[in-house]
Amino acid sequence: MRNPWAQTGNYRTSYAQDTTIFANYREIVSVGLLLVALCLLPLFLERSQVLVLNFILIYAIAVLGLNITTGYAGLISIGQAAFMGVGAYTVALTAPSLPFWLTLPLGGLAAAVAGFLVGIPSLRVKHLYLALATLAFQEIFVWVVGRSPALAQGAAIPVEMRNFLGLEITFRNHNYFWYYVILFVLVLMVIAWRNLLRGKYGRALIAVRDNDRAADAMGMDPGRTKLFAFALGAFYGGVAGGLLAYLQRAVVVEEFTLARSVALLAMAIVGGLGTVVGSLLGPAFIEFLRLGVERLSEWMKANPFIQSITPAGVDVASALLPLSFGLVIVLFLIFEPRGLYNWWRLVRSYFRTWPFKY
Amino acid sequence: MTDFLQNLISGIAVGCIYALAALGFVLIYKSSRVINFANGQLIAIGAFTAYALAVWMGLPVLLAALLALLLTALLGFVVERVFLRRLVGQPIISVIMVTIGLASVLDGLMYLTPFGSGNFTFPPFLPPGGLNLGGLNISYPQLLAIGFTVVFLLMFGWFFQRSVLGIAMRAVADDQMASMSLGVSVEKVFALAWAIAGLTAAAAGIVVGMVSGLNQDSLIAIGLAVFPAVILGGLDSVPGAVVGGIIIGVLQSFSTAYLDPLLTQVGLVGGGSQYAMPFVVLLIMLWFKPHGLFGTEEIERV
Repeated sequence: MRNPWAQTGNYRTSYAQDTTIFANYREIVSVGLLLVALCLLPLFLERSQVLVLNFILIYAIAVLGLNITTGYAGLISIGQAAFMGVGAYTVALTAPSLPFWLTLPLGGLAAAVAGFLVGIPSLRVKHLYLALATLAFQEIFVWVVGRSPALAQGAAIPVEMRNFLGLEITFRNHNYFWYYVILFVLVLMVIAWRNLLRGKYGRALIAVRDNDRAADAMGMDPGRTKLFAFALGAFYGGVAGGLLAYLQRAVVVEEFTLARSVALLAMAIVGGLGTVVGSLLGPAFIEFLRLGVERLSEWMKANPFIQSITPAGVDVASALLPLSFGLVIVLFLIFEPRGLYNWWRLVRSYFRTWPFKY
Repeated sequence: MTDFLQNLISGIAVGCIYALAALGFVLIYKSSRVINFANGQLIAIGAFTAYALAVWMGLPVLLAALLALLLTALLGFVVERVFLRRLVGQPIISVIMVTIGLASVLDGLMYLTPFGSGNFTFPPFLPPGGLNLGGLNISYPQLLAIGFTVVFLLMFGWFFQRSVLGIAMRAVADDQMASMSLGVSVEKVFALAWAIAGLTAAAAGIVVGMVSGLNQDSLIAIGLAVFPAVILGGLDSVPGAVVGGIIIGVLQSFSTAYLDPLLTQVGLVGGGSQYAMPFVVLLIMLWFKPHGLFGTEEIERV
């Protein structure tokens, strides 16, 4: 801290310093710059590009939640999309009568209750069984929504918001308006995430993940800690789902299927489990991969040569997406299980230690 | 009463298919503690291979089925060698995610073949109709499903009780360390478990293909329906897989017959409760008896 240009190690001398949100003032400056850049970014982008950004930020919120359940507490959740769905449908049902800053936390709370219920088996069993409990919840959710007349049997339920504090939200500025709302919520959620997990509860989650019997012996209640992790992770998912409902002006059940859950889990892993930076990089990576593959398959469809060499009945375009997606997951897990966050860390430490190698 | 028995029989026939698929799943879990999310894809690939061999190559159906079993077993073996081998000792989430990623890759590969979309039916080699037992009708494909499962179970029973490899697999499942120090090759056992899983998955897929035709989505869905079956029976119990599979099959058949009309009356339009039923059972089991009917209860307080 004394001379930041010659930083060689950890200068923290007290516990209070050790648990600060930011390690040093350079981090404050860089995060501030990043925020300013993110605020200015839409000025240079078209409407459709802002929409892509919006999706990435929403998934980032959901992945942050997943990083509590899976990254911190080590409980694999294959149901994050269903928790998003609970939030989205809560928003869809309450939006006509309540303002959006109330429906969003409400959606989160509903999802947290669902997460609590799904987490109940964690009082007795570990790992794989819990993954299956979330899987079961995911499937039941899709079935219930798909069959309930009250929820339009999974078809679109409109979520309208026409104006906000005198600002009229039209087709033109819709994406831009929600970009700033989502960014604001994301920043809030990241601060809460960091704050929560650097303290007592976060340490308890790590302790329970690493060895729950030892944690038990040290006076933490592993069952309660796991339920807490499930509920909190689901809360983040619920808020993300609510934002998605507003952004798309509607909810449809197709947004919240098992495939989306798996995609979220992939984002968390590709980004790097249990990290904020990873929660942003993962969704961005997977979304850009999806866009790239879609662009590629459109090009292939238009290209007469490729059309002539593909045999009849073969749909190369729809094969590319699952293929590339699965390959990315498998390759990352085998070669870089710590995810993109690790690359980010390496680059950062390279700059910090330059001109020395390490 | 006849209706009830009829539903019971068709449920058992479907359940036998689940049991077959669950068997391979349990073997993998028992020996290497890996949950295989690509089970549905193995089922689909096995079935499509049999179809391709029988219809496109013109082989006799039985020979094609046999070859498909062997090829899918080989695929399971290769999967273990290429992917799972590298992940020994990694956290469980990595292992689960690799099988999920693998499922996605296999999905993509299937889209590259004409099987990716559309329905296919095996050439009929069984006479139409079925056995008639005092008003009950058992179609030949159903009979085939039940017979196939019984034969497979007898074979496995013999394999695990009598053959050296089977005994080695049981040893590894019980205590990896001890069996390693007594000279059992744990690596071989893992590979064998995956090969057998491929074999049983293909068997399940072929039976489904004969009973109700081939469609990628519905074949993969069987891979999901296996989870409730194995949790119900106990994740690490071979007899549990069979019992669980049959119970889930019967439950599905009953919920179509009796629960759907009820739900339609209450206002849940459309029914289709057979798709949700297994997962409701799964959740309830996890709440109250998480280790299943026959699973070993790990004695620890979590």
